[in-house]
Amino acid sequence: MRSSVMLLAGLAWLTLALTVAAAADSGHSHGGGAPVAPPRPSGFDYDPPKPGTYQLPPLAVAADGVALDETGAVRHLSELMGDGITVLSFIYTRCGDICPFGTQLMRDLHEATAEDPELAAGLRLITMSFDPDHDTPEVMAEEAKAFRDDGGRGEKGADWPFLTARDKGELGEILTAYDQRVLTSVNPDGPLAHQLRVYLIDREHRIRNIYSLDFLDPRLVLADIRTLRMEPRRQAAVR
Amino acid sequence: MDAFTRSLALMRRGMGRGRGLALSVALLLTGATAPVWADETCMSPFMPKITGQEDYVYVWTLGVDGMGDGSDKLVTVDVRPGSATYGQVIASASVGGRNEAHHGGLTDDRRYFWTSGLDTSRIFIFDVHTDPAHPKLDRTIDDFVQATGGVVGPHGAYALPGRMLMSGLSNAKDEGGRTALVEYTNDGRFLATHWMPTAEDPRGATVEGVADGYGYDQRVLPRKNVMLTSSFTGKANYMRDLGEVIKDPEAMKRFGQTVVLWDFHARQPKKVFNVPGAPLEIRWAWGPEHNHAFTTTALTSKIWLIYEDKDGEWKAKAVADIGNPSDIPLPVDISLSADDATLFVDTFMDGKVRVYDVRDPHSPKLILEKSIGRQVNMVSQSWDGKRVYFTTSLLANWDKKGADNDQFIKGYDWNGTELTERFAIDFTEKKLGRPHIMRFGAASLYTN
Repeated sequence: MRSSVMLLAGLAWLTLALTVAAAADSGHSHGGGAPVAPPRPSGFDYDPPKPGTYQLPPLAVAADGVALDETGAVRHLSELMGDGITVLSFIYTRCGDICPFGTQLMRDLHEATAEDPELAAGLRLITMSFDPDHDTPEVMAEEAKAFRDDGGRGEKGADWPFLTARDKGELGEILTAYDQRVLTSVNPDGPLAHQLRVYLIDREHRIRNIYSLDFLDPRLVLADIRTLRMEPRRQAAVR
Repeated sequence: MDAFTRSLALMRRGMGRGRGLALSVALLLTGATAPVWADETCMSPFMPKITGQEDYVYVWTLGVDGMGDGSDKLVTVDVRPGSATYGQVIASASVGGRNEAHHGGLTDDRRYFWTSGLDTSRIFIFDVHTDPAHPKLDRTIDDFVQATGGVVGPHGAYALPGRMLMSGLSNAKDEGGRTALVEYTNDGRFLATHWMPTAEDPRGATVEGVADGYGYDQRVLPRKNVMLTSSFTGKANYMRDLGEVIKDPEAMKRFGQTVVLWDFHARQPKKVFNVPGAPLEIRWAWGPEHNHAFTTTALTSKIWLIYEDKDGEWKAKAVADIGNPSDIPLPVDISLSADDATLFVDTFMDGKVRVYDVRDPHSPKLILEKSIGRQVNMVSQSWDGKRVYFTTSLLANWDKKGADNDQFIKGYDWNGTELTERFAIDFTEKKLGRPHIMRFGAASLYTN
């Protein structure tokens, strides 16, 4: 008697499927100078709070870890985060349901930064696969080409590497550190059940928010990013 | 009218007086100032759902002195059809003491079940994923009052991504109803305290009539970025014998009469609705176009609708009586079906469940009234709406006495018109205690 389990956030993902598609088609045309304000996606019926009017208490240390970028070069997460604010998303490219929503959020953020050089300079986007058996650096390069490099944005947006793991051991350490739940499959080509989580990381490498499917509203994430940008830098990083 | 019903009738009348006084105080101090528990369908939207057959029902159970080990415990009931132990208790994890076990909730990854004690303000975190048939106590939070700056009585635990949002019921200063929401990380590290808006400090909220600062349930509608909180009473009342409470006019003034609408992301209260009579459980509708929630008031016996009107204004109004309010049926837990069509309402005093057709949320229609026992409190339904479970205990000092003190879990099938009993477990006979909140488990949640 096997239970049917919906590894999604309630019914909300059905709404989001329409929502994100609508956001992708919106074109995101913005004037220069003023802060970029993506249009309201159809499934998020509210105005985001004004940046700086609320708190984002640190949740945990954003752990370092070793990965491979899309060229096959070894990269450290802490090096990629640098002294910027980071949005980190874990995905696998064979995922046919929820991962594309996370990557679409990253694409929306990338588009926003492409039109706001100041925002782009202080923001890092990282997409990392938890399926290294299939997601080789070459596969991640194709993913990057599809989501990051199209639309003529080129070098204008925030840095956005597409990473994969060097081995399962190093991957496991990263997933454990971020409490990113991925269930192993007995079928090596089977789907990887997981909860979609996108992490907002501050300049001191602390996790300040976690977004699930119900929160993949680029306006909300940008409000959080701008809230962090308004904070004074701490003297000593907590790592 | 027996003694207990008479007591509740007095309580209700006392409530009315209390409301009048509180309203006067609010107007005096504020002038013209500005501004969840029990089942698969009432789960936080931020967690996986068991959309098919659940395997287990976890029952957070109050210990009873002299009964078994006398301690609070998490009891696991096997509800797998065809199982050799279907409808039986298959595990029990004791916490070694009594804490007024009450409510709780699962984390967003459903790996841990947070349960709390209203008396000791301790939080017990059970691992339900390593062996879903045999949950184990993983860790305990013992410094809730100190860490939160004086919040007392951790109540519901509501999953957010990577964190838990707890409602308090009371405070350490006067053990009254003023309290706060509290946030923890999933691993149990304190994050923040958000005090409820009061007349003295509405925190920018518009106050419809009174801002009592009380708490009980908390529920989020993410696509509107709004949260609702409700209001019950403080420790001085909930730990006291009910007969004593109702004889104390001052105590009777201290019951909640508000529902608060919050900007969820900013954790800022926006509007305080006047909902007299202790509004308890809150249930948001699930439909993508359904911008409404239900609550019921324990002491005035009404269904309230909180809704967004066509102009985008959030409002609250009473939409139905539950039974005969003058009989004080005392509505407690509610459960809204996943299709937003039916609302189950348990009433403690008469031990009944009433099922309403709420397809028109402004005009609920009673479609079934059925006796479950001599008292009943919690109701949990499966996501597919085919199975419904009931437990009995309200509070140790508020449960009925003697032969009327039914303490059970019962499982029913629901076909849309009738409830058919499938099993019952007498928690007194099994020497387990007083069964309270239920949560569902499934082994398939933890395997690919």
